[in-house]
Amino acid sequence: MMKISLVTDSTCDLPDDLVKKHDIHVVPNLIIIQGQEYQDGKGISRQEFYERLPGMVSPPTTATASSGTYQQLYEDLLRLGSTKIISIHAASALSGIFNAAQTAAQAFNQHVFVIDSGQISLGLGFQVLEAAEAIEQGANFERVIEFLGKIPERIRVMAMLDTLEYVRRSGRVSWMSAHLGNLMRIKLFLEVKAGEVLRSGEARTRRKGIERLKQHLAQLGPLQRLAILHTNALDEAQQILADIDPKLPSSPLVVNVTTVIGAHVGPNGLGFAAVIA
Amino acid sequence: MTDPMPALISEANPIKSINGRMLQKLIKAGLTWLRTNQQIVNTLNVFPVPDGDTGTNMVLTMQAAYDEIKDSKETNFGKMAHLVAHGALMGARGNSGVILSQLWRGFARALDDLPVLENNDFARALAEARDTAYKGVVRPVEGTILTVAKDIAAEAELITPVTEDFIDMLERVVQAADRSVQNTPALLPVLKEAGVVDSGGKGLYFILDGMLRYIKGQALDISIGTVQPLSEMVFLNTLETVEPGQDYEVIVDFRPHNSLDLPVFYGTLEQMGTSIQVGEGEGIYRLHIHVPTPNLYSPIDYTRSIGTVTKVAIENLVDQMENKNQACDETQPIVSPIEPGQIAVVAVCPGAGIARVFASLGVSAVVDGGQSMNPSTQMITQAFENLPTDKIIILPNNKNIILAANAAREVSVKDVAVVPSKSVPQGLAAMMCLIPDGDFESVVKEMEHALAEVQTGEITFATRKVEIDGVQVEEGQIIALLNGKLICSCPNVEEALLSLLSKAHAEQYELITLFHGADILKTEAASIAENIQAHFQDQVVEVQEGCQPHYHFIVAIE
Repeated sequence: MMKISLVTDSTCDLPDDLVKKHDIHVVPNLIIIQGQEYQDGKGISRQEFYERLPGMVSPPTTATASSGTYQQLYEDLLRLGSTKIISIHAASALSGIFNAAQTAAQAFNQHVFVIDSGQISLGLGFQVLEAAEAIEQGANFERVIEFLGKIPERIRVMAMLDTLEYVRRSGRVSWMSAHLGNLMRIKLFLEVKAGEVLRSGEARTRRKGIERLKQHLAQLGPLQRLAILHTNALDEAQQILADIDPKLPSSPLVVNVTTVIGAHVGPNGLGFAAVIA
Repeated sequence: MTDPMPALISEANPIKSINGRMLQKLIKAGLTWLRTNQQIVNTLNVFPVPDGDTGTNMVLTMQAAYDEIKDSKETNFGKMAHLVAHGALMGARGNSGVILSQLWRGFARALDDLPVLENNDFARALAEARDTAYKGVVRPVEGTILTVAKDIAAEAELITPVTEDFIDMLERVVQAADRSVQNTPALLPVLKEAGVVDSGGKGLYFILDGMLRYIKGQALDISIGTVQPLSEMVFLNTLETVEPGQDYEVIVDFRPHNSLDLPVFYGTLEQMGTSIQVGEGEGIYRLHIHVPTPNLYSPIDYTRSIGTVTKVAIENLVDQMENKNQACDETQPIVSPIEPGQIAVVAVCPGAGIARVFASLGVSAVVDGGQSMNPSTQMITQAFENLPTDKIIILPNNKNIILAANAAREVSVKDVAVVPSKSVPQGLAAMMCLIPDGDFESVVKEMEHALAEVQTGEITFATRKVEIDGVQVEEGQIIALLNGKLICSCPNVEEALLSLLSKAHAEQYELITLFHGADILKTEAASIAENIQAHFQDQVVEVQEGCQPHYHFIVAIE
């Protein structure tokens, strides 16, 4: 009897109840705040993190879980009866997580299959969720892999940054060079596509930026899944959801984004991850 | 057809046809006479704002046309006309310059490679010029240079059967142009309200009149018309650089003992300096001239010799320029690199600070729209021809540059779109929609939509007394314009800003951005912004160094 297990990392932003319900194994990433190391989501709440972020003297840094952590997890899962493991991770172009998992997987031959989602946050999380549902509906390993290959083209992830300070400091966006937006306060729109962070316009004011986000969402047409993402902007995130009132087969999520991403985005960011129907 | 008008008797021998070499001379004459009268055309501005530039734009356009042919040995009239048209197109600046270049284009097209021009050809070419110019404008407006082009074409058609003499023909055409120009206020209410005739039409008249004067052997370098009413004299000391021989500006008011012999008067002044302007009002003459240091007192001594000097004003232009440089950071912007296949934006910017702001938003090239001088089609084209991508968006950021931008689109082999931003704030609003890797057509569409998302305010000063839109303005007063419409005159800049913002209902918006001009110090701008913030506490007030000339502030309300 074949048993497929799903592994991902904490940048997937899947809420705990969904993780438990679908028996997904989430490896926490690490965040180092003023010398102290935290496992993502433990020891410091996301809300507290974003509140403290602007005042932090030295910027927080992030780290992936070690290859050893992944190797240990894969080993445990196989020993407990899994025949195949699908391990889906944040875009390899943006983080070392995929590499850490890939390195660990080499010890297990064909048993562990590592996938670069090309996405972050629920752009990754929704892929994991789709895989989980496919497995639960009885799809075999090959079918699940084939299915996963087709999902990314239906995924849209966009964010509006309240400030350029954090993303500039992060050095993760190649075109975000020296002088973009250094004279005027702008709300920058970013889109994550196939592992790349693309520039997707700007807005001069927050109100207009939020309108633009809603327009982008409306233009996507019917959706299968939706998450409104924010970094400590819960009220506005909920308002966006209420305003657009999407008709979805699944209930929409409102998620305070993981600190590992949020450290590069800064507080008061808003965005969405969606799967087009 | 019965023509009541007898053919005019020319003093010179009749000319039945003219060749390319003659056209070369006529173009030079038209250019020279237009340049001599440039200031007159510049002051014919509907709005009393200090960037009336039609004369300058038309001169630069004609200069480019002449540069194209000045060394040519071509004798074929049609071929020479094509060279003129090409030069004019590449050098076209401002709306008037672009329309002028269209007139030449049509003119040349009608003649193909005709060896010599006769009167019936002339009439035909003027008709084609008219048609081409009308087609070049999206919504042709009567009472403009277009009407003058139409009226001279009609006159030429009327006169062709009557005379074979080109001089007759030209004389009648010039008279028709003059009548047509005088009639423009009757066709265009804004001209009537402002008490001026159309500037572009007047410029066209001067070009034709210059040609006629050349044939008649009349002088082209002394403008008898440059004696302006004293109340309308405007001196703009907003030079970008002080040229050699322009150390001081000297203004002398004097009462001549005898009536002034203008050719002698001008001739003498031209020995002393440049930028000569003369005004007259109630027997008092005002002389304006830029002189090098050794000639500082020459204009005063000279006017004393021919009259009674009543008032003298001297300003050190070199020192002013240095002060200006201190006030404004002229650092050139660092533009964003562009990759093949990406969308590149070219922005026309009226000041170094504004150029830096556009650069910080990711434009790939900046065209200096500087100093009330609109960039030529060629300057715009050059800005993007060498960029490593074929997708180009032009932001003209001024309503007078849109036509030149469109002309640049037409001459380029690249995929060029003009997003018709009429102001700097509109251009910035459009920049918010730039997605370098996006779909070209949808980015252009988004940018066009964004133009309406911002209100534009401008604070400047009135160059003459006028009443427009029910607002009474005295010369020199600070005035505020909202979306191009005059809304008030105020005793100072700060009050003008407050009136502007209140009229724009800025309290219902989020963000007020103030771009301060080259004549406003940073500290001054900061303190004004602080007071504005006190009045608009719910809005964010941002100050940017714009370095634009003439406009104390350009304001974005969004």
